[in-house]
Order: sequence, then C-alpha cells, then structure tokens
Amino acid sequence: MSFRKRNIGLSPGVDRNAVPNATAQPVPESTPGIRPSPDDGRPTTSTGTRSLDNLLAGHAGLPMGKLLLIEENGTTDFAGALLRYYAAEGVVQEQKVHVIGVPEQWGRSLPGLIGSAESLDEKRSDRRKDDRMKIAWRYERLGEFGAVAGSRGAPTTPGEQDAAAKEAPAFCHAFDLTKRLTHPSITNMSFIPIVPSKDSPFPAILKRLETAITSSAADTIHRIVIPSLLNPTMYPPDACQPANVLQFFHALKALMSAHTTRVTAMITMPLSLYPRSSGLVRWIELLSDGVLELCPFPHSADAMATSGAATSQEEPPQGMLKTHRLPVLHERGGGSDQNVGQDWAFILSRRRFEIKPFSLPPAEGDTEAQDASAAGGMPKKSDLDF
Amino acid sequence: MPSQPPLPPLLAPYVSTLPDSSLTLISSILGATSNWLVLRFLYAALSSASPNAAFGLDELQNGAKKKVVLVSFMRSYDFWKTEAKRLGLDLTRLADKKQFAFVDGLSELFYAPAATATPASVSPAGMGSSPRTTLPMRSPPGAVPGRSPQPVRPTATAVRGNLAKPAESGIAKKLHFTGRGLASLDALEADISSVIEQQKSSMEDGDELLLIIDQPDLLLAATSPSMGIGATEMAEWITGLQQRAHATVLTLATDAPLIHNASTMSGQLATPIETEHAALAIGLAHRARSVMQLRTLDTGAAKDVSGVLRISRGGGMITEEDNLEEREALYFIQRDGGVKVFGRGES
Repeated sequence: MSFRKRNIGLSPGVDRNAVPNATAQPVPESTPGIRPSPDDGRPTTSTGTRSLDNLLAGHAGLPMGKLLLIEENGTTDFAGALLRYYAAEGVVQEQKVHVIGVPEQWGRSLPGLIGSAESLDEKRSDRRKDDRMKIAWRYERLGEFGAVAGSRGAPTTPGEQDAAAKEAPAFCHAFDLTKRLTHPSITNMSFIPIVPSKDSPFPAILKRLETAITSSAADTIHRIVIPSLLNPTMYPPDACQPANVLQFFHALKALMSAHTTRVTAMITMPLSLYPRSSGLVRWIELLSDGVLELCPFPHSADAMATSGAATSQEEPPQGMLKTHRLPVLHERGGGSDQNVGQDWAFILSRRRFEIKPFSLPPAEGDTEAQDASAAGGMPKKSDLDF
Repeated sequence: MPSQPPLPPLLAPYVSTLPDSSLTLISSILGATSNWLVLRFLYAALSSASPNAAFGLDELQNGAKKKVVLVSFMRSYDFWKTEAKRLGLDLTRLADKKQFAFVDGLSELFYAPAATATPASVSPAGMGSSPRTTLPMRSPPGAVPGRSPQPVRPTATAVRGNLAKPAESGIAKKLHFTGRGLASLDALEADISSVIEQQKSSMEDGDELLLIIDQPDLLLAATSPSMGIGATEMAEWITGLQQRAHATVLTLATDAPLIHNASTMSGQLATPIETEHAALAIGLAHRARSVMQLRTLDTGAAKDVSGVLRISRGGGMITEEDNLEEREALYFIQRDGGVKVFGRGES
C-alpha cells in the first residue's frame, strides 16, 4: 500500500483524516439507512443482506439511483429471498417500498426483524470465538467494510470503519425467514398491480412510480421491488416483446437517474424462461447497473456440496453466485475490484443469506485417510511417554 | 501510485487524430463498458484549447478548434459531467462556451415525465412532423440561423415545455421517441442535427465537429421491426448524422448473444433483436475507419487489468496513406478514474 506513509502508526486518530473527504458528499446525515460509500462517498443504502452489500464493489451497499438485477437459474427462489430482505430492509428503514406485479400477500410474508446485522454478527462471532485462531487481533476487523472472508476490499482503514459504525448503527438489519415482519411502516408499502391490457403493462406501472416519486417529499427514499420480472404467470405475453420490456427498463433508468439520490431498485428474473444467451436478456443486463446470477446446485450435487464446506462447522454452500456487472464500477470501466471474477458461493439459512468465496473441498479420499490416522495411525501420547 | 495522464500515450494517436468524415466504432460488452474510452475522445477533442490558452497561444495559431456533440442513449448528463470532471473537463462551462453540446437520449426518450409530457392528442402517431411539435425548446439562447421556423409548432407547447422545468444547464436537447417507424427516426435525426447546426453556426473555418453517439443500438433493440425500424434504417440514420459532422464516434454493444446468435451456426432460432443487431454492428464495422473493441480478459479476471482493447482497421479505411496501426493492448481503470493502457507483458 504505497499510498500511505509508512512511518505513521496505524492509529484511528490519524486515519480519520481521510474520512471527512469521503463524507463531504451532500448526504443528508439524518436520513436513516443511507450512508456514504467508503469508496467514493456517494450515498448508498443497504440491500438488507450484509454480505451482498459487501460484494458491491467496495461501496458496502447499493449506491442510490442504481438498479440491481438478480437472475436465477432453475426453479428455486433464492433470488426471491434476497428480494424479501431488500424489501424488509426498506420497510424497517421507513423508506417507501413499491412492489410491482405481486399481490399484497407478498408484503405480508416479509421476513421478521431480529436486530441489526452487526448484532447478529457479534453473536455469531462470540459463539465461534473459542475455536477461532487468533493471528493478530488488530487486523481482525480490517476487511469488515468488505467483510466477506478473504476479500480485503478497498483501501479501508480501521478509522473509516469506526466512524461508519458510529454514524450508521443500523445500516443493515438481520431478518428471520421463519418469522413475519411486523413494523408500523409496513402498511406504507405500495403494491402496483399489473393491469391486464392489450398493450404493454409497463407504461401504467411507470406512471404510478413516477407520480409516487415526484409527489413524495424530497427526503423520502424509494425502493422499487420487481419480483420475477416477465414471469408468464404474472405478465401478459406481450410484455416480453423487446420493444415493451426494454423501453420499460430504459424509462426506469431514466426515472432513477432523474431522482438519483432517492431511488434504488432490485429486480429478479427467472433465467430458465429467459436464458442469458438470448439477445433480449443481454439487453436487459446492459440496461441494469448491476447484474448477479444465482446458480443453485442441483439436488444431486448435495454430496458434493456437503463437502464443499471447508470445515465441518461451516454450512455447505447451496449454489454459486456470479457477478457479471457491479454498480458504478463497471459504468466507469470496471475491473479493478477484487470481488470481480471470483467464484462466490451462497448459503441461505433461516437467519441470513451469506455470500462467501467458493472453494473446492479437499479431495474426498483425504477425510478417510485422516479418520484412519486419527483412529489408529497416530501414536497416542501415552505410547510416546518414556 | 503515480497518477496517470488523462490521455494514455499509447491511446493518444487513436483518439486525437480523426480524419474527415471518418467513422470510429467502439464495441463494448457487459463486463467491459466503453464510457471511459468515450471520455478519452471527449478529452482529446476538448482539452486541447485550454493548455494553449494558458501558454498565451490563441486560436489564431492553433487553427483547428474542436467542438463536440455527445448524444447519449444510456447515461445521464450527470454521469458524463462527474466523470469528465475527473479528467479536468468542465462540461457545463464548455457547453456555455459552445464547444460542447449534450443531447439527452435517456431521460425522456420513451416515457416523458408527466410534468413535461404533452398531451398525446396533439401528436397523432405516425405523422412525420408531429414529434417535433412535442419537443420543448431548450436550446440555449444564441444565434440559430441554421434553423428554419416551424409553422406546425403550437406556441403553447413550446412555452409550456420551457416553463415546466427550468432549463438544465448543459443539456442542449432531450430526445423524444414518438410515433412509429421512419418518421420517429427522422424526428430524432432532425433534433440531433439541429443541435449540430447550432454548434456549427459559431464555428470558424477549420474548426472540426466531432459527433459521439453513445449506444444508438438501444433504439434498434427497444423498437421492433414491426415498428418499421431495422438495421438498414438505423444504418441510414447514422449515415445521415455522419454527413453533418467532421468525424463520428459510435459505441455499440457487441455481446456474444447479440452477434453470434444471428448466425445459422449457433443452432438457436435467432430472434429479430439478435439478427437486426448483428446486421447493424457488422455493417457499421465495415463502414468504419477503425474499430476499437473492448472485451474482458479471456483468461478470467485480474486485479490489475480491466480488459483488452483491440484497435483494428475497419472496412471503411479511406486512403492508403492513412496509416492506422493495428494493435492490441490491455487497459486498467484505477479507482480514481485514471486509465493505464499498456501492452501485454508491460505494466
């Protein structure tokens, strides 16, 4: 790290000099759920999934005005879980959540709030503290802004982290999928139905979004949630005409860039119906700011997946996650982030959606060999005792 | 980390000298976007005046002053402004000095916000001249001799358009897509050329106008052949604009699904969006003087390489003595926006 003077100690007091630079952006400090990006200071909001936040090119959140597209292969609904976290986070932060195309039932099935994501992490790390080897306590939280294990993302410094932790105590929350969210502002969600019509359903949706955003107070933050876009059970057949859906995406992009500090959007799409190798999907991706693809492991791969965990304490990954495009980073040219091009695995458990680097398990035979050696191969201490 | 010069030396000859009536095609893919390269073109064209002014050399000495018209279909003016600022270009100031004009093809192209939308009844779809009537005049005040008065325009519309939103500084015009088929393309062309003419009106002899169109292929993708817009129409549309400018730079998406699905080899049934896109991209590559292809590394991601830039001659090399050197280089976008362009094995 040649940009830092070497003879200056790593104390938070020194490093804090860098922070005002980052926070100088016109971010309304009082807005809950918004914090400046540690990378370039633009306002970001949480996706409701801490490890997804950390994946987004060093911004530790979804930059405002950006649209994240999550594609999923197969018939599972992991993307739907991510979307529910995103919507639930919006409800908890008292942002205005617009859900498109699904009945209000969807809003009642949002996962229940446990607490802030930090508190959950604390608990977990307490539990694991004993069996974790301490290398250097001082570096322990170093990667925390980009806290996915192994990625020591952007030039984050302890000073920045501390400042951020104080500034935004509850930027991201933890949710429990088995519980139901009860929050006073849950009634504030708006559901925009798809009106069956002969023409494209999208102009009507856009009109409602546009009036909702322009008519709201200037400090209201909006989240646009579109579950399972172009799913034929919800959308009329004409909707997937390129002219309709691409104009919708373009207009949505225009709407979001007009209110760039107040809107974020997350959209999921079933890839089994609309494969990535088609021109239409590629154009949808080109029009999105961030593109993630979820590839759940098939059930037959359970055996492989089980051993995919590096240790027995870790849960086995349930699928792979590919990052095709990340907000802001790729708009500017892309490439320099360490999160790009890595293999990611995801684990969805009751309380969290975790994204971490995927690593192949040790060779299958080894465990047997280890077991054998543990059982009888190694001489016991008593045997060695003279 | 030493800061990079705004224009990497390896890239400079390719972005700064563009012969007359040449077409440069920049092709990009999902993971390797072209915005940084467009910005380098902007920089090469617009920054040259300022250092000369600093040295006291006026335009008298350095005759060719360049002007740029940037038409962007995918990105907002804010994005270009902030990114250009990183290079030390103040687009708003340049727009005031009439060196730069931005044509906004994003914000109101397909869906005009209610505030500025004109009632649909005013412009029945399909009439050739109707889209022009819906356009709010947002051109900066100044001499506009090249423009003919339009008798069809209801004055109320124009006034309303102006009042609805305070003119955003720097945006010369917002494009609106209305109507169908050729008529709508013609209307877009008329709008863009009106901005070009406006820029030209303040030009002296020897000045050059660079036209940059960012992703016109969106128009093709987001319409359909049934609307009467196909690759041929788009290519003609581009030619029409090209005629008015000294040099033209185009960016196109050339992701594999958009190019290769169209061929019969792929075994897949190609959809119109794919065939038309491939036809447009390949047709333009044949007309272009040079093709600058951006792609990601074939071998996967790397920490210090963003992608590969391949510069090759297009089918439209004008003269023999035009010695464009073909080359392939790696590029790396730093976090501060600086770009390194280097050969393989160098750093």
